[in-house]
Amino acid sequence: MKTWFKKGEHWVWFSASAVSIAVVLVFGLLLLIAARGLNHFWPHPVYDFQLAQANGQVEQITGEIHNRRIKEVFDPANPSVEIKEPQLLIKTGNRDVYGLDFRWVSEKDIVDQAWTKSQGISIIERYEWGNMYGYIQALRQSGHPTLLGEAAQVGLAQAVAKSHRIRAEIRHIEKGVIGGINHELQQLRFEERKLQLAQQWDSANAERIEQRRLALQGQYGDLQASLDALYAKLKAEGEVVVRIAGDREVVIPVSHMVHFWQPNEMHLGQKVVFFFGSIKNFLLDDPREANTEGGVFPAIVGTLTMVILMTLFVLPMGVIAAIYMREYAKEGALLRLIRISINNLAGVPSIVFGIFGLGFFVYVLGHSIDQLFYDYALPNPTFGTPGLLWAALTMALLTLPVVIVSTEEGLSRIPRALREGGLALGATKAEVIIRIVLPMATPAIMTGLILAIARAAGEVAPLMLVGVVKLASELPVNLTAPFVHLDQKFMHLGFHIYDVGFQSPNVEAAQPLVYATSLLLVLVIVALNLGAIAIRNRLREKYKALDN
Amino acid sequence: MSEKTINLTMGHDHRGMSLEQEKMAIEVKDWNLYYGKSQALKNVNMSLPQNRVTAFIGPSGCGKSTLLRCFNRMNDLIDIVRVEGKMYLHGTDMYDKRLDVAEIRRRIGMVFQKPNPFPKSIYENVAYGLRLQGINDKRLLDETVEWALQGAGLWNEAKDRLNENALGMSGGQQQRLCIARAIAIKPEVMLLDEPTSALDPISTLAIEELIFELKKEFTILIVTHNMQQAARVSDYTAFMYMGELVEYTDTDSLFTNPQKKRTEDYITGRYG
Repeated sequence: MKTWFKKGEHWVWFSASAVSIAVVLVFGLLLLIAARGLNHFWPHPVYDFQLAQANGQVEQITGEIHNRRIKEVFDPANPSVEIKEPQLLIKTGNRDVYGLDFRWVSEKDIVDQAWTKSQGISIIERYEWGNMYGYIQALRQSGHPTLLGEAAQVGLAQAVAKSHRIRAEIRHIEKGVIGGINHELQQLRFEERKLQLAQQWDSANAERIEQRRLALQGQYGDLQASLDALYAKLKAEGEVVVRIAGDREVVIPVSHMVHFWQPNEMHLGQKVVFFFGSIKNFLLDDPREANTEGGVFPAIVGTLTMVILMTLFVLPMGVIAAIYMREYAKEGALLRLIRISINNLAGVPSIVFGIFGLGFFVYVLGHSIDQLFYDYALPNPTFGTPGLLWAALTMALLTLPVVIVSTEEGLSRIPRALREGGLALGATKAEVIIRIVLPMATPAIMTGLILAIARAAGEVAPLMLVGVVKLASELPVNLTAPFVHLDQKFMHLGFHIYDVGFQSPNVEAAQPLVYATSLLLVLVIVALNLGAIAIRNRLREKYKALDN
Repeated sequence: MSEKTINLTMGHDHRGMSLEQEKMAIEVKDWNLYYGKSQALKNVNMSLPQNRVTAFIGPSGCGKSTLLRCFNRMNDLIDIVRVEGKMYLHGTDMYDKRLDVAEIRRRIGMVFQKPNPFPKSIYENVAYGLRLQGINDKRLLDETVEWALQGAGLWNEAKDRLNENALGMSGGQQQRLCIARAIAIKPEVMLLDEPTSALDPISTLAIEELIFELKKEFTILIVTHNMQQAARVSDYTAFMYMGELVEYTDTDSLFTNPQKKRTEDYITGRYG
């Protein structure tokens, strides 16, 4: 034992255990997030519960088991005894009927403490009011039942598919075509204003613009008519009669349905297909119902666009600053002071950067840009309001110290002999830096960038001030020029987590989405980092022999 | 390894000629160099003959490397270095303020103590100096690279792997590549700063052989720690001590009949 201490073995064990604790914590956290998040997409069985009520009657409720807890209850008659009562959280859905989708039920209230799987129950996902749990009875068209029982389900599937096609058409017209017309109308307004500002507003121009406007409005009217026709068609898909727990019948229009499934009748293969289908929808759909349902596609696009844009800003800024400090600036008190300041900048709370971004970028820079280039759009701000550009710039500032420090480190590690080799061949200092030093420092620069990406993608607080919103109507990248809309507000996964988790009225419904979104955010950051690491490793391979 | 047979009796070309009769490439006049307050070179005066090998020997810290680095103004890179005196390359003042330093360095090539090839392909290493001069003509580059690699005795080993990374070569090959890289831009003078100190004996012999070949076209100044090497490859030898040029004459005389006591002590191994 004495020699064991003498050899310093206990220190080895100390460090090893510290590492294992860290590893366990990280993987435990990831596992928790992954399990809770992915669980959300799996089709869970639906049970019937018979609840004994105080008046002796039996109430039937139907739903998925969502969570469990042990509630500590105090008997008022006997306050010293604490009763532990197991409870189930049941997702009953049918929010339009019950007012809530979740309900805590004491296991002791369940008749015989047994529950059974509901035979042939359907879960219907709707565009509004959450899921509906019930038995599909009949399909009705213009008030008359057309299909009943089993046939109703088949007919319903076809009707839902058809309504999706109609919805896609409506969406195309609303977002694409009418969006385009609105854009053009706005351009016309801007043109009119520009001409007025330039004192060139005359009757010829007025005539031309008015003509164009009338033409556009005519087009708009036509589109409105075809939209109305489509909506009528959607309505004509009919409605479905659903019997829910307690033998009540509810009628839902087919056009309100996203899709429906029978979880209790699915076999494993179907469940797996459903699972991946749900994940796909989560990734590719727009959010609904105050972000508590639907997907997170705009948030993914927003996060990626912001991070990539930030990379484009921070990389040149950081590298150029590091080159100046390492290669050109004279060592001395001033440079030391600057270095210390940069290191401290990394420790400034991110919200401070957010406030700076809002104050400087948005209010000062943005307003000036609006005054200079977008005066025709005033008083509506173009860049004088939080947006993608300012968010990316704020994030670039936030991550700048990391890039500078690691680039400097990389530059200082390039052997002096190599620089001298270049200089001895008649290269100027700038040529040596650009053609020898900088390529060799790229692995270090990439390391800095990886750290910067990790930090920027996970940061939320400053973004809330400079451009992230709960719900953005349009993506920051799309097919209309200039493709990346720097002035637009955008959605962000980190903010989405905060918003869904803490600002949502429907906490229980939001919880699994918070886990799923967290998992997604982690995966996005990991993917971004893996990309950067792959590039770095390829570069390292190139210069590997240099180390020995 | 050079494919040529090693010729151990390389001999010296200057026989029958004394230093005074040589045509000079570089003139050094009253040369002083200071690192901050301490003086590293004291009043050096010497002339370096063209197309000859001149060796600088002396104990560590005697200033021989510092002096060598003055010839291509490498010391300019160190902030605290200050120089006094004059240096002429074929009559041009090398420290003239109007002169382009890069131009001087193109005319005076240098090979360093540790091989320092760039982390690029063998071809690109040799072509680097040419590309710097804006030469991008593929044929001209190919020709010059081949010529330089031939000149450095590396062509046979390297011709099939020109596009491989230079860092994959052995130390001796890397050093010869550095020589090829330096001669590719056809300098007038070559400075060799202990070129074999990091190499094994066989590579050392190959480099020495190469030096003997190179002096037909270039003026060569070599700093070495190894007195046998100085005796083998050089025509003239300068012995330096504590920043001063103690003795400078033809190699045979210096090693067989040193005029100064300190030279004799050093070459007989009493210190250093």
